[in-house]
Amino acid sequence: MRWLSLLWLGVPLLGVGELAASRWASGRAPTADEWRALRAEVARRKRPGEPIAVAPAWAEPLARHALGDELMPLAEVARADVTSSPRVLEISALGARAPEVAGWRAASEEPVGRFVLRVLENPSPIPVRLDFVSELGPDRVSVSDGGRACAWTARGARAAGGLHGPVAYPAERFECGAAPFLVGVTVIEDQAYRPRRCVFAHATPSRDLRITYRGVPLGATIRGHAGLSWFLYRDGAGTPVELEVLVGGRAIGKHVHVDTAGWAPFELPLGPDAGKTADVTFVVRSESPRERQFCFHAESR
Amino acid sequence: MTPAASDTSRGSRAVDATLALALVAGYVALLLGTTSDLGYARDEGFYFQAAASYERWFELLWRSPSEALERAAVDRFWAANHEHPPLMKGLFALSHALFFEKWRVFSEAGTAYRFPGMAVSALALGIVYLWGRRTAGRLAAVCAAISLGFMPRVFYHAHLDCFDVPVASMWLLTTWAYWRSLNGGGLRWAVASGVCYGLFLATKHNAWLFPGVVVAHVLVHRWRSLARGMTTGRLAVPAALPAMLVLGPIVLWLLWPWLWFDTGARLAGWVAFHTHHDFYNMEFLGETYWKPPMPRLYAWGMTLATVPTITLVLSGIGGAHAVRTALLPQLARRFVALRGLARGVDPSPHSATYSLWALSILVSYAPWLSSGTPIFGGTKHWITAYPFLCLFAAHGLRRAADGLAAFAPAAVRRWRAVELAVAVAVCVGPVVMALHAHPWGLSAYVPLVGGAPGAASLGLNRGFWGYQTGAMLPFVNERAPRGAQVYLHDTALASWDMLRRDGRARADLAGTLDLSRSSVGVYHHEQHMARVEHQLWVDYGTTAPAHLGLLDGVPIVWVYVRPTPR
Repeated sequence: MRWLSLLWLGVPLLGVGELAASRWASGRAPTADEWRALRAEVARRKRPGEPIAVAPAWAEPLARHALGDELMPLAEVARADVTSSPRVLEISALGARAPEVAGWRAASEEPVGRFVLRVLENPSPIPVRLDFVSELGPDRVSVSDGGRACAWTARGARAAGGLHGPVAYPAERFECGAAPFLVGVTVIEDQAYRPRRCVFAHATPSRDLRITYRGVPLGATIRGHAGLSWFLYRDGAGTPVELEVLVGGRAIGKHVHVDTAGWAPFELPLGPDAGKTADVTFVVRSESPRERQFCFHAESR
Repeated sequence: MTPAASDTSRGSRAVDATLALALVAGYVALLLGTTSDLGYARDEGFYFQAAASYERWFELLWRSPSEALERAAVDRFWAANHEHPPLMKGLFALSHALFFEKWRVFSEAGTAYRFPGMAVSALALGIVYLWGRRTAGRLAAVCAAISLGFMPRVFYHAHLDCFDVPVASMWLLTTWAYWRSLNGGGLRWAVASGVCYGLFLATKHNAWLFPGVVVAHVLVHRWRSLARGMTTGRLAVPAALPAMLVLGPIVLWLLWPWLWFDTGARLAGWVAFHTHHDFYNMEFLGETYWKPPMPRLYAWGMTLATVPTITLVLSGIGGAHAVRTALLPQLARRFVALRGLARGVDPSPHSATYSLWALSILVSYAPWLSSGTPIFGGTKHWITAYPFLCLFAAHGLRRAADGLAAFAPAAVRRWRAVELAVAVAVCVGPVVMALHAHPWGLSAYVPLVGGAPGAASLGLNRGFWGYQTGAMLPFVNERAPRGAQVYLHDTALASWDMLRRDGRARADLAGTLDLSRSSVGVYHHEQHMARVEHQLWVDYGTTAPAHLGLLDGVPIVWVYVRPTPR
């Protein structure tokens, strides 16, 4: 029985053990210098248009700091998804893996310092014929609201509402009146608070906001996502927003978005128009345009 | 209910008083020595403003007492932040007036405002020592006080001109006074209990819960005499209880000029503010909660993730010891089946003390048994339980040391080397962890969850209140263009103004909450705040932070610099 008292040794051992564990825990994640030292290795492996996935996700600001906009541009960081990317470069630290590329085949896997760099191949990439978000601009796009043309400007007044305010209004945009009635590329957060780059198209009182892309090479479908700022509208009290898609003036379908759906996917088959080139129009409307900061991403593929 | 101080001689009491004072003074000195790189948290800014307003009223009171006591003056100066009671903010004001404006004891106004918070927080260490000393011995009591002071979250909050550790001190102080009143303290300590409860009420609304502790304690330990009293018409309640119920509100009213007029309505407003508080956002296990139902595991889970494990284990051992020596013998008297378990157990003289501590812990956590209670504020809302966890920990330490001492040679036992070694082994970890986490105390997690990296992977909150801006100032001061506006995100403008006033932020830099006007943008990461960073990307035209503040490789705060300055 007396020897059972030796179990009390566990107390000082736990104290010292917790100290040792805290030292281990504090040193196990790579430092900012180690992230910066990774740049050349990443640049060697990364191809333009193929995004970088960082695991664990919380380390991504370190990657963006170390790698810069050239290797982690907004379009890739705030991607809608990775289904169209043939490859993704995964930067893994602490043994973590990126869930969005789970199951992809590793074309290469190399330890670099305390990281593992993996080039992962998409088992079934779907080629994109046109990315409607990247193509938004005066060369290909015209915007009208209730039949009136919305003027393009590259020097619109920037504004950003902070935590409780509207999304950031970009300087380059079509203006259909005073803000928020504008069409431009911005970023909203999805239901997991991740960034999603999209075309901001606030519903207007006319209920007839039209965004027309000329000469779009059509694939088999128009696929995309739609949403509003999750933080602002997650209570689901807002009026639904309708996104109708017209190809060559003919309606091919619509997506009705409700706030509680978050960043929600939609896919509209092109049917007989598949493989052709045609004008594509997105019509945005809502019964009540108040606080309808709608945003969508779409691809022809 | 007899305290078991092993040595109550005058010399021993002097040693204890000296040690308690040393713990308090040493802790205040450490807090003062580590305050300069700790940025001002969001709520500190609001309390700076409130204290400045109260300070003007104190000046008026000094100059023209009759004018100061008029309703117009009271309403003008005490309307500021009237959703919180006055004691700490009044002390912040006096400290600023005396220790900064008049005597220049402190070189920074912000430190002068913070000083009373530090001092009242440190008081808890002294009381934990004195109480632990009476029940578990000197070394265990010192260890308990250190365990409290160096819980990383406590160490953080103890720096601030806020009320969270001070209200833990007040809970402890009032409980201590009540306990003294039960243990030979007589009417003097009963009255002291009432006054202490008034100070407690004047510190923060956690005090509303406290009568639950005392009433439950009286019911548990005096139910027989109470039952008899019901029949005879003479209820034998401890004098401290009516003293608290009578003197407490009187002291609160005397200290809070806001209540001198429209008392009922203003009291109702105070209660309504806290019983209908907004539901702020808080991340827990990867999910942001912003409305009920809140996760019922939150308080317990966050305690496990943020309080050093050795402290919790010691507390558990102390609690088990309390159950075995205090509760079990009493139950065995009533239930035959338990008599075998109670055989050979020396009944503890501390049963009333243990139950008082346990009730304080349970009542502190009780609001989070409901899924309707907001979970914002992290661990600070049940921080009042921590001194009592540490008092139990003192008993856990004592048990472990006694158990191991049996194996030591007599000479070692005589010098109490085993107890000393165990005390060092259990205290060094918390001390090192708390100092290492500074100035990121609100982002600190214990190794049980993998430290800061493990917590980030688990999806536990990375910090709140925008306190992290202070740690970014060397970079901001160096890189911001002359006259630039700095986007402050979650830092209150009043907190930024204090950073500038103290000379920590460059005088030519202006804080702004208008992101589009800024040239430098600070982003404090919380899951639900990600949209602010997304706005910075679009507005600044870059996704690359120019600088990051890291705790153990985990980004806590980061700064963007607009490529083309405004």
